[in-house]
Amino acid sequence: MALTTPDLQALEEQVPRDIARTVTRGDRIFRTLCASAAAVSLFIIGGTALFLAIKAVPALQKAGLVSFFTTSVWNPTVGDFGVLGLLIGTIIIATVSLIVAVPLAIGLALFINEYSPARIRRILTSSVDLLAAMPSIIFGMWGFFALQAPLVGVAAWLNLHLSAIPFFRLSEADAPLLRSSFIVGTVVALMIVPIITSVSRDVMAQCPRSQCEAALALGGSRWGMIKEVLLPFGKAGITGAVLLGFGRALGETIAVALIIAFTVQANPYVLEQGGGSIASLIAIKFPEAQDLEISALIAAGLALFSMTLFVNLGARAIVRRTQIAA
Amino acid sequence: MTTVESPRTAADTATNRQVVSSELLAEEPHGSSRIDATDVTCWFGKRKVLERCSLSMEPGKVTALIGPSGCGKSTFLRSLNRMHELVPVAAIAGTIELDGVDIYSEEMSPTEVRSRIGMVFQKPNPFPAMSIADNVLAGLGLSGMSHEDPKALVEQCLRRAGLWAEVSDRLDEGGMSLSGGQQQRLCIARALAVHPDVLLMDEPCSALDPISTRVIEQTIRELCEEITIVIVTHNMQQAQRVSDTCAFFLVESIGDPGRIVEAGPTAQVFENPSDPRTYDYVTGQFG
Repeated sequence: MALTTPDLQALEEQVPRDIARTVTRGDRIFRTLCASAAAVSLFIIGGTALFLAIKAVPALQKAGLVSFFTTSVWNPTVGDFGVLGLLIGTIIIATVSLIVAVPLAIGLALFINEYSPARIRRILTSSVDLLAAMPSIIFGMWGFFALQAPLVGVAAWLNLHLSAIPFFRLSEADAPLLRSSFIVGTVVALMIVPIITSVSRDVMAQCPRSQCEAALALGGSRWGMIKEVLLPFGKAGITGAVLLGFGRALGETIAVALIIAFTVQANPYVLEQGGGSIASLIAIKFPEAQDLEISALIAAGLALFSMTLFVNLGARAIVRRTQIAA
Repeated sequence: MTTVESPRTAADTATNRQVVSSELLAEEPHGSSRIDATDVTCWFGKRKVLERCSLSMEPGKVTALIGPSGCGKSTFLRSLNRMHELVPVAAIAGTIELDGVDIYSEEMSPTEVRSRIGMVFQKPNPFPAMSIADNVLAGLGLSGMSHEDPKALVEQCLRRAGLWAEVSDRLDEGGMSLSGGQQQRLCIARALAVHPDVLLMDEPCSALDPISTRVIEQTIRELCEEITIVIVTHNMQQAQRVSDTCAFFLVESIGDPGRIVEAGPTAQVFENPSDPRTYDYVTGQFG
């Protein structure tokens, strides 16, 4: 049989052809249903943002867009609003909660994944899930009634021994230590431990077993393996987990509103009574607010919404990037 | 050890002195060692996968473990440096002695066992986030050791693993930029850097092409002058080419644990086996 080589020059340049994409009716219906579900979630996010933006306009006009974000006042009678102090307060509380939660969560994740026997691992995993499902009002009440007294002791100790660090100073020697950002941050920390634990656990579980075995086979201890292989592998994913926790801490409302001695001004004395956050502002002021104050609360909500949205988007992006790399 | 005779430049002599001192350091602690396994039985949960395996792995020799898939030879190998127990449900009986000391006794910690008995895995597994040089040095950091001259150690280990010429100009590149065969030799260099007395190799060439395989086999032959080597292989030609002693593992019927059918000098196992099952296997009549 003769094999003929086609004269390529004589032939036309090929272009991609159409491919018939026949879709069955069942598929079409199901796809429409799924697409609608997807559309609803986009609509909710877009609708919320739009609602907040429109309703915020009157207060922002009255108070002035710039001064709304650069002053710390809340005076509905004259229509003077500014949330700078509360934005700072929000970040202070979320930061305190991260400082408490991150070592706890990563230690817990490592213990569950690397050290615990199978039976204890199951118990711990489900109790972390349970912790995640606990309503925040419960944490708030428990924090208010049970945690304050011991935490005041911790705060006094920190102030006594570590007052070289500015954050552990007090405005005056006998300032009250109850209902502080420190106590609130610690309670919020307990609420964000589960999310940080479970995401970083998932990330570290993706580390190839062969890498871990290589480290152990070189005479590495388990801690050496964690330090040299597991943590470098999970670095980005754990960062994402921490940011997810941060996002959650920013928005935590009821526990903060319950415990903190609310002030509009930023309180740099973390251990001391008084502080606030955007979410607690809304929870505390909303029941009695009218007209312009409602608009101002919505504007504050818009600021919180944007802040958490950006933190969450950043966190998701980082987590996704590690999953692709793995 | 001979002194340098040929004329060299000052710089050359300087580097040479470093290499010599590192070599001395390599030989100083132990030299090559022997492993004696006696009545080793291994379980995963309730399943017994290996029964009463006894084998002596002589110093400075290459011992090959051969046998069909699933006969327990990898499990046996992993029991020799306490990697077996990393599987949560794993259990073991019998004794394994490194120069007369039971590695499962109080006298040795798992980390000490593993730094004296190194391991190279079936699939090359360099650390992806580390450079070539850092991969070689990884074992030092992991086991808390330090070395007075890390650069010289990197060169020495890469030379012994037969990789130096190919990577000497790109030590800072990632370990994953290498080919499969090069990665495997990097893993050998990494294992050598902690100065093991014994090197265990679990089918080190099964993921590699024939040319890379030949380079690794050469490396094994060169290394065995200083280190005791135990290698698991599916490739019977490879066992013949590289090993001095050979042990044949077999599962008689499904559900049975693996046992050592025959062990002895490689030439004898292949040319004049005493057991008919060994004969059948090495002549390719089953398995």
